[in-house]
Amino acid sequence: MTSKRNDTGNDAMESLYPFLYADSSNIDAVLDQVRASTTAKAAEIDELRQVIARRDSERIARCASDMAERFAAGGRLFAFGNGGSATDAQQLATLFMHPDGSGSAHPDGPDGGFPALPAFGLANDTSVVTALCNDVGVEVVFARQLAAFGGKDDIAVGLSTSGNSDNLVRAFDEATRRGMLTVGLAGYEGGKMAELASDEDGKPASIDYLFVAPSASVHRIQEAQTTIYQVLWQLTARLTAELSPRIQQNTVEVTHVPRHTG
Amino acid sequence: MTSMVNAAEVTRLFELRGGPLRDLAERAGSVADACHAMAVRFHRGGKLVTFGTGGASADAQHVAVEFVHPVIVGKRALPAISLTTDVATVTGIAERDGIADIFSRQIRCVGQPGDIAMGISADEYSPSVLAGLRAAKELGMLTVALTGSRPDGARDGETIATSPFVDHALVAASGDPRAVKETHVTMYHVLWELVHVFFEQPGVLA
Repeated sequence: MTSKRNDTGNDAMESLYPFLYADSSNIDAVLDQVRASTTAKAAEIDELRQVIARRDSERIARCASDMAERFAAGGRLFAFGNGGSATDAQQLATLFMHPDGSGSAHPDGPDGGFPALPAFGLANDTSVVTALCNDVGVEVVFARQLAAFGGKDDIAVGLSTSGNSDNLVRAFDEATRRGMLTVGLAGYEGGKMAELASDEDGKPASIDYLFVAPSASVHRIQEAQTTIYQVLWQLTARLTAELSPRIQQNTVEVTHVPRHTG
Repeated sequence: MTSMVNAAEVTRLFELRGGPLRDLAERAGSVADACHAMAVRFHRGGKLVTFGTGGASADAQHVAVEFVHPVIVGKRALPAISLTTDVATVTGIAERDGIADIFSRQIRCVGQPGDIAMGISADEYSPSVLAGLRAAKELGMLTVALTGSRPDGARDGETIATSPFVDHALVAASGDPRAVKETHVTMYHVLWELVHVFFEQPGVLA
């Protein structure tokens, strides 16, 4: 089958998007474009992390101190988010529960020992999540679980790229009612979560610490958020061990785990 | 309280993330090659099967949702499943056959020769991830690995990256598992986005 080419239209489009109209057999040109795009995206996330470090280092340090005080008092952490952010919530929970869970402990690693601290990903249990979605609605999936578990020594961490998820807004309200420390991670300009955040004027707020990754790319936002929560974990875990001798005893021994070669 | 962290320490931790990203930029050619090979498989009807242990299991799920439900409106949904979400199957295999078989068993069951396997590990070595990649390669699947550079129990210099069962190894250049994880997130976001660039050029998918 042959198709008739609309020269005028295609020329105009080609000048706008030369790459799309490159010789389709020219795989090298496409690979070049993809390589350049990879390099550009790496530079983009590097720059975004630098912006956040300049803007939020002080607050990240204070947030870690507050989180450590809650853990030292016997508190637990509840993390929640939707989609890709649900996997981040799960990752954050396992960082606390099983330190260095992204690989086994290694004697030459940078870690020293981190305490195992109680933490839960609220998107992990498909029975609970689907029951709440089916019986009530998706907007309560996290708030309802916080109502069941949350107490004044606990910590709620909600992750969203848009900052607009209704089920996060509801969860932060519930967490605040229960006296929990609330931490939010958002992107863009912070969305609805920015309206919930505490500010210098001390207005009533349901998010004590909001960290916004100022980007319009969902991907770069998630990458920056990963750094924020992993740094928060690293500082919080260390501070908690220092604050609480009881928890110190629970520190995971970083010894070499023999592994078979399968 | 006596124990404090300060802004300088936070800044230092953020700065640690720069090195692996610069290294990723230098390895852009490997990323592009992996994208092209994956796009060819998707174009022919293959699906993506992802897996990893610990924190990397969450990454495996993230990759799957990335392809099935794209964040950018208008991009086509592509078939991808994570082998870490079925707790009944994972714990069942672990109990009966051993933890090293949790992915390889599933791959032999759900994998097709035209599919793509993506194994993720923050270390250089993970018995279950390597066994999964091996099972996939033996089926004829394309095998892609995201790994770290931290020696972790490898025997006789065997690593995921140097395994003969891995077609495309993307290595994050850091010994810190957190920095490795973050580099992996960038890698798979880029892989997802750039696979679609090849779809815009069907002529290169022959």
